[in-house]
Amino acid sequence: MPAQPHTAETRLEIDRSAHTIRMARVFDAPRAAIFAAWTQPEQVTCWWDPAGEPLTTCEIDLRPGGAFRFVSKGRPDMPFSGVYSEIAPPDRLIFEAMGATGRVVLRDVAGETHMVVEIQCRSAEHLDQFLEMGVQTGTSQTLDNLVAYARGRSIAIDEPA
Amino acid sequence: MAIQHRHSEQLNSAFYALSDPTRRAILARLASGEASVSQLMEPFELSQPTISKHLKVLEHAGLIEGGRDAQRRPRKLAPLAMKDIADWIEPFRQQWDTRFNNLDAHLAHIKNQET
Repeated sequence: MPAQPHTAETRLEIDRSAHTIRMARVFDAPRAAIFAAWTQPEQVTCWWDPAGEPLTTCEIDLRPGGAFRFVSKGRPDMPFSGVYSEIAPPDRLIFEAMGATGRVVLRDVAGETHMVVEIQCRSAEHLDQFLEMGVQTGTSQTLDNLVAYARGRSIAIDEPA
Repeated sequence: MAIQHRHSEQLNSAFYALSDPTRRAILARLASGEASVSQLMEPFELSQPTISKHLKVLEHAGLIEGGRDAQRRPRKLAPLAMKDIADWIEPFRQQWDTRFNNLDAHLAHIKNQET
């Protein structure tokens, strides 16, 4: 049985001077399991699409310079694709996607994993474009996705390592 | 999405205004009630021109507005401006929040399969 469910929340912070979007979340799972969930296609396909549908395409060439491509059923016109630049299990995954640098950092804190996902854009305008994509795809998804599993909880993004 | 595009200039200046810790502190102070330049000088230990400069940036961003008393020009928060920013970011946050909820459920599923 899983531990007592707690309220899920993803903390979001926008650092406009560094044109970076930062998201933080706690998971009740070891880092290695989360790293695998980010890097194995048979796992990514299970959770990537916020609509909850399996991906129609999920290709991962897991090596520096290797490409990935995630295509969701609802948005075949908007694949999430890029190239890995650093693969350091179980705590760091870095990739370039859509002109931005993505970083997934996993830290073990008392048996839980604190995950921070950073999207570092080229400029403030580029950051706005990223956020606007959220506006465009998110509005319909907000209606489609009232299902929440409510097992993670929010953490302070700026807490010391 | 026309509303967001119309506001994007305003959002740019709002994010710029919010990037400075002194300006965030001024906003926090104004959240507890309006204040004039001289009332703001004291807690922040800043000169009048410096405070005025920060207030000008906040005003330009639409985050604060002047009070009715033109002489003293007390400033107060423009609460709708803050709500605009939150409304703009929320769909993005929600999209990733849902994605991470999915990840969370997936991890629990895998864990249950193992045991």
